[in-house]
Amino acid sequence: MALLGPLFLLGLLGIGLPIWLHRLETQVTEREQFSTTMFLEPARKRIHVQRKLKYLLLMALRILFFLILVLAFARPVLFSPPQALITEDTTHHVIVLDTSFSMQAGDSFATALQRVQDIINGLGDDEVASLYTASSGITTVATATPDGAILIQALSGLAPDNGKLDLGTMVTSMNTLIEASQANFVLHFISDFQQTGQAVRFADMIPDVINGRPVLLELERVQTNNAANWMVDSVLVSNRNAVEAGIRGFATNEDSSERTITLSINNMLQQEQQVTLNGGGLSFINFDNVVFEEGDNRIDIRLLPNDSLAGDDIRHTVFDNSPPAPVLLLTENPQSLGVTYISAALETAPRGYEVITQTLADLDARVLQRYPWIVIEDIGAINASLATAITDYVSGGGAVLAAAGESSLGLDSVPVLDLAVGSNPIRRENRNPITMIDNSHPALSETSGWGSVNMQTLPVSLNGDERVLIAQADNRPVLLESNIGRGRIMLLTTALDNTLSDLPVKPVFVSFMAEAARYLSNENLLIREQIAESFLQLSLAGGSSGQVYDPDGVSLLSLSDTTQAQDIPLNKTGYYQVFSSGGEVLVAVNPDQRESDLTIMDAQVLQNWQNVVAGTANSGEQALNSESGVADEDLEENEIWRIFLILLALIVIAESLLGNQHLRIRTGTL
Amino acid sequence: MSPGSTETRNAQTRLLDPSVLASMSNLELVAKAVVEGFVNGLHRSPKFGFSQEFVEYREYSDGDDPRYIDWNVFSRTDRTYIKRFMGETNSHLMLLLDTSASMGFGSASTSKLQYGKYLGASLAYLSSRQHDAIGVMLFDDDVVDYRPPASKVGSLQGVIHTLDKAEASMGTDINKPMNRFREHVKKRGLVAVISDFYCDAEELLENIRPLAMHGQDVIMFHLLDSDELDPKIKQSTLYEDMETGQAIEVEPTYMAKAYREKIQNHIKNIEEAANGIRADHVLINTADPLDKALHNYLTFREKRG
Repeated sequence: MALLGPLFLLGLLGIGLPIWLHRLETQVTEREQFSTTMFLEPARKRIHVQRKLKYLLLMALRILFFLILVLAFARPVLFSPPQALITEDTTHHVIVLDTSFSMQAGDSFATALQRVQDIINGLGDDEVASLYTASSGITTVATATPDGAILIQALSGLAPDNGKLDLGTMVTSMNTLIEASQANFVLHFISDFQQTGQAVRFADMIPDVINGRPVLLELERVQTNNAANWMVDSVLVSNRNAVEAGIRGFATNEDSSERTITLSINNMLQQEQQVTLNGGGLSFINFDNVVFEEGDNRIDIRLLPNDSLAGDDIRHTVFDNSPPAPVLLLTENPQSLGVTYISAALETAPRGYEVITQTLADLDARVLQRYPWIVIEDIGAINASLATAITDYVSGGGAVLAAAGESSLGLDSVPVLDLAVGSNPIRRENRNPITMIDNSHPALSETSGWGSVNMQTLPVSLNGDERVLIAQADNRPVLLESNIGRGRIMLLTTALDNTLSDLPVKPVFVSFMAEAARYLSNENLLIREQIAESFLQLSLAGGSSGQVYDPDGVSLLSLSDTTQAQDIPLNKTGYYQVFSSGGEVLVAVNPDQRESDLTIMDAQVLQNWQNVVAGTANSGEQALNSESGVADEDLEENEIWRIFLILLALIVIAESLLGNQHLRIRTGTL
Repeated sequence: MSPGSTETRNAQTRLLDPSVLASMSNLELVAKAVVEGFVNGLHRSPKFGFSQEFVEYREYSDGDDPRYIDWNVFSRTDRTYIKRFMGETNSHLMLLLDTSASMGFGSASTSKLQYGKYLGASLAYLSSRQHDAIGVMLFDDDVVDYRPPASKVGSLQGVIHTLDKAEASMGTDINKPMNRFREHVKKRGLVAVISDFYCDAEELLENIRPLAMHGQDVIMFHLLDSDELDPKIKQSTLYEDMETGQAIEVEPTYMAKAYREKIQNHIKNIEEAANGIRADHVLINTADPLDKALHNYLTFREKRG
């Protein structure tokens, strides 16, 4: 707030309060009556002067109290040059400590801490150091200081997390953090230097030249050999009673490991196997006759005993064992090829659907209300009365996935949607590829492979309210969505029987049907397996609000935050519980698998990296002596309201003491 | 002394406590309670009690109770004589009660004026038991009320009524009321002056001396509150004079030392002034029971015969 802000000026009126109160006080004189004053002598004048002074001091303190209170609320700031202790002759050691998941391996992190301490202990005169941690992001641990004790103290609370380090991202982030200073920088990076952490572009790993001053890069390796590591790579559930665990080894082919693989369902050990794992590649272990509970199941596959990187010896997976949801499929012919494709795709979807086929001729429209969503094999086959019933069903909140089959070819307009059909008829001999896909749509975000699909489509003219999700050349819609009332309808402008399109025989068909089904049935769209340090979009959980508990059972949202959609950082591995209006779901979180590959970068690569950085710095070393002093825009704002609050507290104490004393004098009693 | 008598004695002593008396609204009742309690507590009966043993005749004078006129003598001699009995002192008691504003001061439940009323009423009651003529004069800077000495029926009630309606007001000027009093008093008797004597000792002496020279026996009851005798304050305090309204701020150190010296000097001066005219000076702390004052009064009467 500015000092001339209306609230500040209003607050200043509070100063009048003590003045007014003191004026009232002075008008009221309390006296003690005594029988006679013939034996009394007045006190020396000094007393009166002292009392008057105390009285004025008390009033001044009270005025000051209000003044400082108002000033504190105005949040005043002092401008000071940043990093005042850093000059052009200062060497600033920027220490970046790798805290990514791979640093949990063996003694990597302990070694890294020791290296950091060595750097700190070696700080000389006119040298300062700052400390950062690098994982999925960069975190400032300690700003530039010559005091090694502060830095050592800051080290004590550090530990590796579950994040994934990318060296290119790290250097880019460091550029933004250190570019404001004028010191000579030495960038120390202490890491295990995994190959998987290397940036795609080598140039991304080169720090910016800062004010033409050389930036030295000191790479401190904590591992010099490639450590063998095995991890649980994947967990697949099939037929609702079998689990296949994929174990990946990061070692040489000659290496092998005798391990015990355990399968736990909902924290209960169900099966275990003794296996010999290969040093390289994948090994698959199958567990049969696995018993799941209804609803979400926690599947934990463990490798025992643990190797040097224990964090990836367990993998958490969520399997939804809910009974298949019923879905109504309306068709002219239950024996048609389209029915077969649709049923097969829906029944094999991860969620699992029970397809109830109903011929249009025998349909009682009242049964529509029993289903959250329905499939129409050929929208051209429905008559006007059924079109009205379906329109009412959608308006009331239902959802429809409709295709345009043979019966739609002669339509003038599409029923329910009331879209005009163009004059350009479908030509069987001319199948066109897909040219546009809206991947932002929930039904398409997880599907891929549309590029290989060729189809002939019904040329529909849009009314303007529809959203085209997939289109061919010249923007001919393939898949569109329209909202009617409280419901929605998705129209595929081609057939699902492999007559007008090869979509049903392409792999993308199954995933598309699964995603479309999940979207139309309004189930939550949360991805049930996530990578650590990523974010969970609570809005995908089926509602705009909810609560999330981390693997330790700690609620992550305050009461007020639960009413707003949030992105929740997934910092821990394990199971997050998400409660929302869409129900309760589990989300399994595992470390990024790339961190499990402990293969380190080649020493020559690291040396080249240092050399390139040094060369870049030297070439850019041009004195910018004109930049003496600190520009105004570089001044740091230091809020001083805390100082005001401390002053306020002192004034309150002084006022209390003085006020009490003054009060005693005025009402002195016999 | 038996336990029962100890309890009786304690009960009687309690009746003399000013705080207990303050709870009694009837001043005559207070006087009776005080005197009866006081008399019953004495080890021997004083020679002031009513006696039926005839001693002599005395010529009737104004204020004497007509009931004691010997009508037989009157029929023989055509002169009025009063019978006198053993125990009678043939004395007049004149109560002079200071009602100046300073007498209204009191740190406890009883002000000096209230205490003076109790004392005056008790003295009047004692005297009435001996058939003394009793009168009262209330004064501040002038005579507020005056009732001449009389021993007739109802005179006690009249005196007590006069005392009862006294209120503290105005300042103190002993000259004017004393001059007026000297104009009224004709016969010898006892004069009990009840005051805090916040006046100059010399001035007081000048006003009392004529009374003594006129043959009056003067007893000066000097009433002071405990806070006047022994003030205790912790902080500088602004004191307002109850008579003049003058305000003076004083320090605790002054009140603890210099003031006490001054008040003690003043008391001493008053006492010396009293001794100079053979008057009795009785200093009374109004926090003390009334028996001290009554005892002094009786001693004084015995001494004066």
